[in-house]
Amino acid sequence: MNTIEVPALARVEGEGGLYIGVKDGQVIEIRLDIYEPPRFFEGFLVGRYLQEVPDITARICGICPVAYQMSSITALEKALDVEVSPQVYALRRLMYCGEYIESHALHIYLLQAPDLLGQPSALDLAAIAPEVVKNALRMKKIGNEVLKAIGGRSVHPVNACVGGFYRWPEAVSLKALLPELEWGLGAAKETVRWSLNLPYPELEIDYKFVAIHHPEEYGVIKGEVWSSKGSKISAAEFEMSYIEEHVQRSNALHGHTVDGGTYLVGPLARLNLNNAQLFPEAQKALKDASLKLPLKNPYKSLIARAIELVHFYEEAITLIKAYNPSGPAHVGLKLKAGEGCGMSEAPRGLLYHRYKIDENGIVKFAKITPPTAQNLPRIEADLYAMAPQLVEMPQEQATLTAEHLVRSYDPCISCATHFLKLKIENRK
Amino acid sequence: MKTLILGIGQSMRGDDAAGLEVVRLWQTQHPVSAAQVQVEFSELPGLDLLNLLEGMEAAILVDAIQLHATVGTVLRFGPDELASFTPDAGSAHGWGVAETLQLGSSLYPSLAKCRVMLIGIVGGQFGMGAGLSPVVHEALANAAEMLENEVRSLLKSCKINRPYSRGTPI
Repeated sequence: MNTIEVPALARVEGEGGLYIGVKDGQVIEIRLDIYEPPRFFEGFLVGRYLQEVPDITARICGICPVAYQMSSITALEKALDVEVSPQVYALRRLMYCGEYIESHALHIYLLQAPDLLGQPSALDLAAIAPEVVKNALRMKKIGNEVLKAIGGRSVHPVNACVGGFYRWPEAVSLKALLPELEWGLGAAKETVRWSLNLPYPELEIDYKFVAIHHPEEYGVIKGEVWSSKGSKISAAEFEMSYIEEHVQRSNALHGHTVDGGTYLVGPLARLNLNNAQLFPEAQKALKDASLKLPLKNPYKSLIARAIELVHFYEEAITLIKAYNPSGPAHVGLKLKAGEGCGMSEAPRGLLYHRYKIDENGIVKFAKITPPTAQNLPRIEADLYAMAPQLVEMPQEQATLTAEHLVRSYDPCISCATHFLKLKIENRK
Repeated sequence: MKTLILGIGQSMRGDDAAGLEVVRLWQTQHPVSAAQVQVEFSELPGLDLLNLLEGMEAAILVDAIQLHATVGTVLRFGPDELASFTPDAGSAHGWGVAETLQLGSSLYPSLAKCRVMLIGIVGGQFGMGAGLSPVVHEALANAAEMLENEVRSLLKSCKINRPYSRGTPI
């Protein structure tokens, strides 16, 4: 196989390169080189007042700003021993529903579906299946509208703060979204049915799945960190089991278990570990799909996202119908020096934050572990697993297959610190 | 005729903020015109550009551009020229203006009827950090004047005289 170079891998976020070295018909090296400059967000946060943190960290990503807000808020509330009201917690869940809806609709239809349908881009998909893309954009828009109703704008919403929200959103604004959310729920169920018939490449990996689990709700904001190998730990214990290390060729840290193993976070992990906590319509969609769990094919993350879409539309509808705020939208903070760990499930997977603050609420230390950084070693390992198939393929097909595999994780290199060019080199 | 004036650009990426600054300057200098159209600002509109254009009959987008031309040059691109731009949807999260317009036109007949034009300011540096380069800063007045001429032309052709503005500077 001769050298393959793709100037930039499309439909992933950020900049980086994929290198595949081949010698004597064998793949001998695979690297995801993240060369986009580091963003130093953790450094920016030091010296800032704690209430600035949620809106600064939200700027890490335009697709999952709520995840960064919620993980930072829960960590800082832990440091201050703050408990929020059930109403505040419900509104946080609703805000997260909006984020899942807009993120998953985007990835399913505009980022991964073109690969499965043999189209170079969403523009080409729109040409052959305009109704599919129109429905996708409508589904995505509803998620953004939820964010706008709660947070004032559809991207990088504000309003969430340590202790709750700056103000309650208007009930009438939220309830006005119900008809579109009901339509979206139907479209999401149809998305599951559609997703089952897509031509996924064959690949089964014995992953160590890791996700937040809570016995009474689909794990997103609170719960324990569960793994499919049986471990159950709190957020405070996260760094004792999962660590990041610098890789010289990459501007993103690589996450692994303390014993050096890889693990997978994201929709497959959540669905496999938390399917019992799905809302009823999502449970039914899962049952009707007759899937054999655990799902182990990374390409089928799309199906997991589709089932989650059903869940989050359904949960959003339930939460809005019950929305009837009373009392203060946030609790007063009693500042003190402390340290707190927080986590939540971004659409791409577990997002962990830890902060130290002084007695004036000034950040003295910040640590952020994004989902894509945790998945990067796993993506490389999966490319190795695909290697025997890749070397047998024509150059163009090998390139597309490798690109598709990477895209199926929905990597957000902006969050991890950025991503992709593909180079397959035949070493003499 | 419902008309949108949209300033586009990232305020923390050097000359990329030129589109935002031009529209702010124009709002200040020409409040009468600004009151008769809808004014919006967006740092990275992406696919949300389609939502902003929904229901509009005309739109003027103001954005920094990268071009092999003298930095600070102000250019006007009409609907036909915009349609000929080569899409480059290289990023999952950062759909560009050209590909978003192309996607919208292919999906929504009503959007295809919206008369979209672009006022582009050729930028020189798009690195991290706020602040325009001096030559782009100097070009703001020219671009704001071009925007005013285009708005007047639209208002005149449509004989619009009703107040219509919900936008506020960011």
